[in-house]
Amino acid sequence: MNGQQTTEFRWHGRGGQGAVTSAEMIALAAIEEGKFAQAFPSFGPERRGAPVLAFNRVHDSIPIKIRSGVTNPDVVVVLDPGLLTIIDVMAGLKENGVLVINSPKSLSELKKDYSGPWNLAVVDATKIARKELGVPIVNTTMLGAVVKAVGIIKLESLNGPIKEHFGARAPSNITAAREAYEQTQIAPPVKTMPKRVEVLEVLPSWQEILPGCVVTSPGSAKQYRTGDWRSKYTDFDYSRCIKCGLCYIFCPEGCIEQRPDGYFESNKYYCKGCGICATECPKEVISMIEEAS
Amino acid sequence: MKRIGMEGSLAIAEAAKAAHVDVVAAYPITPQTHIVEKLAELVATGELKADYIPVESEHSAMSACLGSCAVGARTFTATAGQGLELMHEVLYVASSMRLPIIMVVVNRSLSAPLSVWGDHSDVMAVRDCGWIQMFAENVQQAYDLTLCAFKIGEDHSVLFPVMVHVDGFHLSHVIEPYFVLNQEDIDGFIPPYRYPYALNPAKPVTLGAFGPPNVYTEAKKAQEVALLSTKKVILNTWTQFKKLSGRSYNPVEVYKTDDADVALMTMGSFSETAMLAIDSLRSQGLKVGLVRLRLWRPFPFDELRAAVSNLSTLIVFDRAISSGGPPGPVASEIRSALYPMKTRPKVVSFIGGLGGRDVTVQAFEKLIKKGIEKAKADQLTDYEMIEVRGQ
Repeated sequence: MNGQQTTEFRWHGRGGQGAVTSAEMIALAAIEEGKFAQAFPSFGPERRGAPVLAFNRVHDSIPIKIRSGVTNPDVVVVLDPGLLTIIDVMAGLKENGVLVINSPKSLSELKKDYSGPWNLAVVDATKIARKELGVPIVNTTMLGAVVKAVGIIKLESLNGPIKEHFGARAPSNITAAREAYEQTQIAPPVKTMPKRVEVLEVLPSWQEILPGCVVTSPGSAKQYRTGDWRSKYTDFDYSRCIKCGLCYIFCPEGCIEQRPDGYFESNKYYCKGCGICATECPKEVISMIEEAS
Repeated sequence: MKRIGMEGSLAIAEAAKAAHVDVVAAYPITPQTHIVEKLAELVATGELKADYIPVESEHSAMSACLGSCAVGARTFTATAGQGLELMHEVLYVASSMRLPIIMVVVNRSLSAPLSVWGDHSDVMAVRDCGWIQMFAENVQQAYDLTLCAFKIGEDHSVLFPVMVHVDGFHLSHVIEPYFVLNQEDIDGFIPPYRYPYALNPAKPVTLGAFGPPNVYTEAKKAQEVALLSTKKVILNTWTQFKKLSGRSYNPVEVYKTDDADVALMTMGSFSETAMLAIDSLRSQGLKVGLVRLRLWRPFPFDELRAAVSNLSTLIVFDRAISSGGPPGPVASEIRSALYPMKTRPKVVSFIGGLGGRDVTVQAFEKLIKKGIEKAKADQLTDYEMIEVRGQ
């Protein structure tokens, strides 16, 4: 990839993971190098954990005028491995482009499912972020992987924007990016296309929309299994539980259910891991444990 | 049918009562006050079995109306001027959610300088909000159109909120005779309100959901097509109302235009004053007539084009200003509506009657004569504000 053509990036993350900030850092770094660049988000419902998109365009010498979203990216970055099974992240990815994935799996493991006519880059950014930042927020860490895999921006160019944005927390973020830069593994393109996620999104025509956009079938939210948004999960220690039901009352998702024996448990398909139940439980029955562990 | 003398506001309240409204949510504002005071009194004495919600603002009034209409309650409110502006954002929600709230707007100017008096500034500021909107010219029409509004808005092929516009003070505070319909006739005319998507725990629905970019355009297209197609029901309702009352209503009303070369265009209560000016000018040998817009939204394009096709000049009288734009908002819409016609009248724009300023028969005569001169001289790019000191 070189800067003589516009390089287009599409970032896949979740609300709160910092995909938008990642895109901003790339654009600011490119601009600092004297290039032309843009970064912009595509927000859906503004909620933590929901899939979000962010975009970049970078060119060495020509101002970027296009304002529409990136549909044929040169670079796709996936901040959250959970997205790989629910979103077709490879949609529109150009030949000889780059797919950068944050995953604890090794490159050889991932090649089977994600290698295609593009370069496949993998780094365990969550592990690095936990070590360097103490939290599983991978946006700055993934910048290092992207710079390594794409090669049109210097790693040092990120320092200024990261310092500006993160202030006192900048050094650990810069360290995390550098570690990711060093640890990123890259596989060259292959000729075969991998199996893609089938996203069945049927949108209504204007004639099919009911007056006032009324939704008449209740429970349609059930199809959105929000459980894959979480990074922490509930662990109940029933030896202290008094079956008061406060967890059930406070759960904003309504995903805590009472079992026949009177104890409560959360439904893993919908629990977003917010931890409100753990905070409200008067007997400290519930603790939030890391999903990955 | 009984003939009685009554203030316009009270006649409107009587219409709401006769329609058996379930909920009135309103905030008092001059010159709408008498309508909602009367309704509060009717509810307090038990003559009207309805819930009266005395809210803290017009924004809350319209918000409460959304809720009551959504559970299937027949909902009425009234406001004026600044109050309509405070409702502004909620007006769009009502029409987009297709909730047939019925509202009488007692037309009032917008501050500053502070003015409680009448003009059409408030109407013009909400012309794009997606409601069905119509104008009354006298107390009888205010009563009739309020009754008709329930039948139109609540029709299952319509489901749109309806505004009935009545001029502040000129109609709200005038006492004049009007015919009251028999209650049995009204009950036969307006069927019970059955909102098809009413909130009901036994049959849950989602109202007012999120519309991301991949849905919003389709939602707006559906809404716009639906609003335009309400005209059938509006016409049908007015036809049925004529059978009941003998009084006919049309999207565009004409007065002595059959042989006219020039016509004045007005909306609202000043139309009747203007008729006298037309009579006077005809007695002086001028072939003039009057065209009035009854239905403001959905805009009656076809009826308007038919009404003005034989005219050489159409003089549009606006009671509002589109600041910094094409000055008369109605004149601007008329020009736009007539533009596709192969032959069309010249449109001359006048503005007057602002902030309760009176417009006399003589002033209308002068305005029409001036309009004819301007059309002859092809002075069509400007507009004139009438009766301004310092000209």
